[in-house]
Amino acid sequence: MTVGNVFFAVASVVALLGAFMTIASQSPVRSAVGLLITIVGIAALFLMLNAQFLAAIQLIVYAGAVVVLFVFVIMLLGPDAGDGEGTVARARVARYGAGAFFALLAAAAAHLVTRAPDAVFTPFGAVDPEHGSVEAIGRLLFGSDVVPFELATALLIVAVVGAIAVARGKPHVRRQSKSASPTARMFHGPLMARDAQRPLPTKAEKAAKAAGGA
Amino acid sequence: MNFDILLAVSPILAVAIGGLLLMLAEAFGKPMVLTGPQAGLVSTDAGAGRSDELALGSAVILFAGALISVALWKVGPESLPGAAALAPYLIIDRFTLFFCFLLCLGGGLASLLAGGYLPEHNLDRGEFFPLLVFSTVGAMAVAASGDFLSFFVALETMSLGVYCMIGLRRGNLRASEASLKYFLLGSFAAALTLMGGALLYGATGHTDFVGIGQGIATIGKSTSAVNAPLVLVAVALVIAGLAFKISAVPFHMWTPDAYEGAPTPTTTYMSVAVKSAAFAVLLRILVIGFGDPRLASWGTGWPTIVAWLSVLSMIVANVIAGRQESVKRMLAYSSIAHAGYTLIGVVATMHSGQGTPSVLFYLLTYTVSTVGAFGALILCGRRGAEAVSYEDLAGLGKRHPAAALAFSLFLLSLAGVPPTAGFFGKLYVFSAAVDSQLNVLVVIGLLNSVIGAYYYLRVMVYMYMREPEPGAPLATPMRSGFVVAALIVAAVFVLVCGILPNTSLDVAAAAGLSHG
Amino acid sequence: MLQTYLPMFVMFAIVLVISSVMFFGGQLIGPKNPNPEKLSPFECGNDSEGAKNTKLSVKFYLTAILFVVFDIEVVFMYPWATLFKTLGWNGFATMFSFIVALVVGLAYCWKKGALEWES
Repeated sequence: MTVGNVFFAVASVVALLGAFMTIASQSPVRSAVGLLITIVGIAALFLMLNAQFLAAIQLIVYAGAVVVLFVFVIMLLGPDAGDGEGTVARARVARYGAGAFFALLAAAAAHLVTRAPDAVFTPFGAVDPEHGSVEAIGRLLFGSDVVPFELATALLIVAVVGAIAVARGKPHVRRQSKSASPTARMFHGPLMARDAQRPLPTKAEKAAKAAGGA
Repeated sequence: MNFDILLAVSPILAVAIGGLLLMLAEAFGKPMVLTGPQAGLVSTDAGAGRSDELALGSAVILFAGALISVALWKVGPESLPGAAALAPYLIIDRFTLFFCFLLCLGGGLASLLAGGYLPEHNLDRGEFFPLLVFSTVGAMAVAASGDFLSFFVALETMSLGVYCMIGLRRGNLRASEASLKYFLLGSFAAALTLMGGALLYGATGHTDFVGIGQGIATIGKSTSAVNAPLVLVAVALVIAGLAFKISAVPFHMWTPDAYEGAPTPTTTYMSVAVKSAAFAVLLRILVIGFGDPRLASWGTGWPTIVAWLSVLSMIVANVIAGRQESVKRMLAYSSIAHAGYTLIGVVATMHSGQGTPSVLFYLLTYTVSTVGAFGALILCGRRGAEAVSYEDLAGLGKRHPAAALAFSLFLLSLAGVPPTAGFFGKLYVFSAAVDSQLNVLVVIGLLNSVIGAYYYLRVMVYMYMREPEPGAPLATPMRSGFVVAALIVAAVFVLVCGILPNTSLDVAAAAGLSHG
Repeated sequence: MLQTYLPMFVMFAIVLVISSVMFFGGQLIGPKNPNPEKLSPFECGNDSEGAKNTKLSVKFYLTAILFVVFDIEVVFMYPWATLFKTLGWNGFATMFSFIVALVVGLAYCWKKGALEWES
């Protein structure tokens, strides 16, 4: 047993345990932590496949940002939002029944695949160490795979617009004359709203002020 | 940069760039000044309250996309050899161009409907229109993709926009339920498809449909390294995932709730564009990827699965649709039933070269009829007096003959009554099935068409032959040029495809996929 | 590969050992004589009810998801930057169109007020 095998075993067990924790735990926050563990385990597996860049991205984007987003959503709904549902008997039966059915199907599929009389698997060659470097990813992303990359632009734009559409409720109203926010002020109207409202002092006023000040 | 490539993707590119411009127009437009009790107040959101101009803008963008597809069809994708560089991620052939046209048409009509519906129902949110346009970009890319990688990115682009368009009505429990159901089941379905793609990659070493097809063709040879059971599991997963998107029974559970809770233009878009795009990629995967004679034959391959999906969809949806009290829910079940009819054509691709063209033509007729039916439903109700149940529509034929006439036309087309598009759609699908010796399927399809006619005609019976009960809530038609325009476009298509089907049949025949 | 990252794993191991020694060591060796006074909340106020009902505003979510979107944009920029010279004008055009689209997205959410906390 080589170091690589031990590493693979440890990383896979960590990933599987995390995945189990995600679906089995009662508290949603614990589930999020389980997801975090899975992600770390998968990052380690990526590292084994010489996909260093993906491993780093996995940690930065998924562990660093997406799980945090999940936690935000959990806090948004309240950490105990999912409670009480497990008490409905029909829901519980449906859940366990569906889970058991799915597990059965998966086991049958696994049995079929591994025990087939001519069970063969595509032998993938060993990957070279530079396979997952930033340069190699870049060459793929901007070379042969440029089309999916450009499609990802549309996906990101939809995410921006969709988040705004869903997360913001009905638009507010404000007085037409007054700017509501620094940004609104920047885009339309005079820079300082109160300057716009206050008329410029007339000459007589200026003179009176000067006289009063003197 | 190769000019051929730009020209080949121009339908998708034009709609995408138009979508970006629409976003800018929405955010940087002049904010609405309120009238009435809130006079003098101005909205902080520049996009709110400007549905009319935004709807016009997005309709122009999408119809322009449709026209560009037509122009590219006339030029002929064969004369753009440089476009082959896009393969396998985007395959620009006549099949793709047909779907680009169909999806842009459906999206454009849905945006016209939204231009009437959103302000009427106090849902005047500008974000709807960029979402619709970008979702259509995703749908076109789904139809064009020939590789699981680009397919998945495009599928998510399409679906994400639709999830948000359903959930637009914040604070409404039904809309939230619809959005959540569609989101959870939709992402589950996407995960199933992705798992299927991953298994196929594991089995064959390819993510593109052509490569997968070649890998599967080697099964049984001594040099083959492809695990046959793994391929079968993957086929089942891919079909199951796509069956969610086309809402075929038993993967239809979300459909009635999601369709009913969503704003009606969104429902229209889902039942038209999302379904068509899913059918496009289903056809491409089945014919190109799983086109191996052993996998595409009765008994050992996908035709059996698809045939069962088809039969179940037709029977279950038609039986339940007849029992609905809500017209919108009835139309939701009707869209499931139509997925069943279309799947007959998909099964027919097994033997008959007529299979793919019949599906394409059916989708065209289904698109225009469904847009029309939902549009007429929108037209029949104004805020506070929506047309929801059959009772609401009682006596509409006397009170508002034009709206009732429009509704009747599209219902007749959905039922497949002769002078309309729906008749030729069904005829063509059934004749393709007879070519493939699928006589049992055809008989079941015909019987179901008769059952289906019952609930479509029931709407007309209420509109023309029932008098409203005294004191019952009545639907009052709204006034909107946008909805009327969409209905006129849809009606023209329904009648042209119904009376002079030759041109569109020829186009569908030319767009057919050939076995890779 | 594993050799390259060996120092990193060694560091992880050291961190794990030191932190667990600090965490559990204190519990094991430290003197313990609890009394009710010592375990009660400090000096004044009611017993803590815990964080049962704290709900975050939806603003956090909006900010977080916009962060993720633009985070991914930066992720895509990194390989492009490392290969800037090799990729040449083709890569530049690709990235340019990507960034233009995302700048439109940024302008959109800025103008819509999604980046503002108060509104």
